[in-house]
Amino acid sequence: MAVAAAPLEAAGAASRDGSPGERPPGEPRLVGYLYLLPAFAVFAGFVLYPLYRAAYISLWDWDGLTAGTWAGLDNYAEVFTDEALRSAFVHALILLLFYAVLPLLIGLLLAGVMARARVRGLALFRAILFLPQVIAMVVVALMWKMIYQPGEDGALNRILGWFGIEGRSWLGDFNLALPSVGLVGTYVYFGLAMVLLTAGVQKIPTSLYDAARVDGAGPFREFLAVTLPGLRGEIAVALTLTTIYALRNFDLVYITTHGGPGNATTVPAFQVFSRAFESGQVGSAAAVGITLTLIIFVISLGINRLAERSA
Amino acid sequence: MAEVRFEKVGKRYGTVDAVRDFTLEIVDGEFMVLVGPSGSGKTTALRMLAGLEAITSGSIFIGDREVNQVAPRERDIAMVFQDYALYPQMTVFDNLAFGLRRRKVPSADIKRRVEEAARVLDLGALLQRRPGQLSGGQAQRVALGRALVREPQVFLMDEPLSNLDAKLRTQTRGEIRRLQLQVRTTTVYVTHDQVEAMTMGDRIAVMNDGVLEQVGTPEELYERPANRFVAGFIGSPAMSFFTGEEVGLTLPRNGAVVGVRPEHVRPWREGLIGPLRGRVAFVEALGRETFVGVDVGEARLVVFEEGRAAHDVGDEIEFGLVESGLRYFSAESGAAL
Amino acid sequence: MTSRAEQSLGYVILGLFSLIALLPIVGILFTALQEPGGLAAFGTFDGLHFENFKTAWEEGNFGSYLKSSVIVSVSVVAVAVLLSIMAGYAFGLMRFRGSTVLFYLFLLGLMVPTEAIIVPLYYDLRELKLTNTYWALILPQIATSVAFGTYWMRTYFRTVPRSLVEAARLDGASSWFTLWRVLLPLARPAVLTMTVLLFMWTWNEFLLALVMVSDEGLRTAPLGLSFFQGRNTSELSLMAAASVIVALPVVIVYVFLQRHFIRGMLAGAVKG
Repeated sequence: MAVAAAPLEAAGAASRDGSPGERPPGEPRLVGYLYLLPAFAVFAGFVLYPLYRAAYISLWDWDGLTAGTWAGLDNYAEVFTDEALRSAFVHALILLLFYAVLPLLIGLLLAGVMARARVRGLALFRAILFLPQVIAMVVVALMWKMIYQPGEDGALNRILGWFGIEGRSWLGDFNLALPSVGLVGTYVYFGLAMVLLTAGVQKIPTSLYDAARVDGAGPFREFLAVTLPGLRGEIAVALTLTTIYALRNFDLVYITTHGGPGNATTVPAFQVFSRAFESGQVGSAAAVGITLTLIIFVISLGINRLAERSA
Repeated sequence: MAEVRFEKVGKRYGTVDAVRDFTLEIVDGEFMVLVGPSGSGKTTALRMLAGLEAITSGSIFIGDREVNQVAPRERDIAMVFQDYALYPQMTVFDNLAFGLRRRKVPSADIKRRVEEAARVLDLGALLQRRPGQLSGGQAQRVALGRALVREPQVFLMDEPLSNLDAKLRTQTRGEIRRLQLQVRTTTVYVTHDQVEAMTMGDRIAVMNDGVLEQVGTPEELYERPANRFVAGFIGSPAMSFFTGEEVGLTLPRNGAVVGVRPEHVRPWREGLIGPLRGRVAFVEALGRETFVGVDVGEARLVVFEEGRAAHDVGDEIEFGLVESGLRYFSAESGAAL
Repeated sequence: MTSRAEQSLGYVILGLFSLIALLPIVGILFTALQEPGGLAAFGTFDGLHFENFKTAWEEGNFGSYLKSSVIVSVSVVAVAVLLSIMAGYAFGLMRFRGSTVLFYLFLLGLMVPTEAIIVPLYYDLRELKLTNTYWALILPQIATSVAFGTYWMRTYFRTVPRSLVEAARLDGASSWFTLWRVLLPLARPAVLTMTVLLFMWTWNEFLLALVMVSDEGLRTAPLGLSFFQGRNTSELSLMAAASVIVALPVVIVYVFLQRHFIRGMLAGAVKG
């Protein structure tokens, strides 16, 4: 069926949108809209419309109570000029390291080692490694808040005490707060990267590794030449997911540090909340939200484009 | 039961014509086979008859009713799909009863018809099974049963045997034919296998590249092919084609392409045209008969020999042609002369 | 390195990180079982005291919080699953004008974070006097759930063989009948995966509840926990117990249906 099927496929795709005259009798046509309607109605009303509204609000200087004044793109300019916002976005980038890069490295480590082995009992490991993602972030945040507790009571400080290392106020220290928060992200998502990449690496044909061996490649070379390219798809998925989670980390910041101390752990997601509901800068909050969305778009598309092109 | 008529039916996808100017009359109760290679448009024609594809031009008639705009369920047809399309989560009984239930047939009637079909197709023991628990042959019979039970005016079958192994295919071929002769329902049967077409059809419609090449009884197609395509498509092994010039013979209708079937190309003896000499290119020994491919000049002919032939590749062989078996085709258009 | 050695190393790494994943969780369980009011910190063990859970439930009002969470989650998931199946069916198996554009709109919605729409949602719902009601929690979450669900079900429906749908059509089944009686029985695993994912995301949702709800009676579990910890910063064991209560429902479902959770999360789910 190869030869004629090809033009049929292509032409079929062209008429997929259902231009009149191309519909076989009795095939559902207008009724498709009816099936779609309820879902689309709710979606349009509570996602699309608010998105449009957010874009609108972002152009105003508004405190949520009195009338607002037109601000144009000022709120967006603030992303670069305002201290808190600039920090927020920089912190988001730093957190990317913890949420995305670190887990990816851990996953790659495991994948590299497991390249040729068949793991038995992977199901059990998978179940355990995924557990952190299933628990409400609020709960995870609380767990770690307890671990990070300053003084001698905090679990982390106690453990460090065994090694003679001095305990700290992890979430209260200007320099340590952000990495401490970041590590929580690493904790939640390293399981995802590990499972994703291990599954991916087992799909790479062992013949590729054998060929590399024969060509005299050492383990590191093998990793670069065979494992890494073979995992391109999975790396893309892992990066996309964890990046988005890194940018949407309101819950964690709110519970652990409330953005503090000072602005040491503020992130865009938190800025949206605090500006809209704590400091009466609703327009700015909306702008930050829109910016966040745009960044997510760009990163998602970018990562996937990169993955496709090099495939 | 009803007659089926295609009148100048065409199907266009974008810029591609899958079916062009297709005109065919199928007589009431006839078993008509649409045969052709992949992409010939046979399945498209069938699907237009079923109402699963829109008709771009022309008309299709079932009985004396034009059905272009009629929904499939109103056409009073039943179809057997290539992959059977059985409802996976329903029992065989429910699969067979499905169409009847949709049409609000009283359940007593449903029971009777389903059990009757099950008896005819030997499905009695399988009625409570699920499709996943059936073998390929059993699933195929359920697909047939589903069509049978509907008692439609026309049966449509889209390559129902292609997913079966060779032995089962031959067996089922006969069963389908017997079944059809029993119920005498007009049947349109699509296949790419010309052997299937020749053994099953009352008449055969050969299609190629969206166009109907020839329609006729198996004998007509075999003995009097209308053009080179039909001549080469029907019959196995295929007809050999050559020009008089290539093999060094002077034949009537100078310049025409000559077609001859292996059974009309024999080892040399008196009364044949020839002798032709060539080198053996391949030998197909089938026990009761042997087909020997011979290169003569630039042409290759297939020689038929009874029993076992003692030839090796590379041997020289002398053979001749039976005059009554020669067919002439125009070198430009391919039409029979 | 030999294959054997590699495998062992791999198990070591897997084991090590599994331990790391479990440690905080085990720690919080132990803390929850500590003596109430005790000074023992996170990760110490001094006997099993289940009273903490009782205290959290009654004094902490977590019975009420869980009830709210159940109301919201069940409503959201039930409606979203129904709507997603229908929309996914339309996108996956029907051809109509503009279907591609409309589907891309849904995909767009998948990438929109709650943080982007929380602001207008709050102020607009306040205008409609709908803030501080269950509606404010249910409707927006149905919307975001439907974005994922439609994408998910469309992906599934596109794997259905066309001949099955055509056979049903030929047999006289309406599109509605085909969906619910022919296709859905097959779709059970896909629907189940979607259901557990939507349940998890809805149950764990915090920001929306924080912004919309002010009445204590409407607080969902994560929100309740946040308030609880604000009042009880020293009562570690109590906080731990409350945390366990909040996380438990999803974890229980996860334990029984992990295959579905994992499959869904790995399929590049872009939400939550």
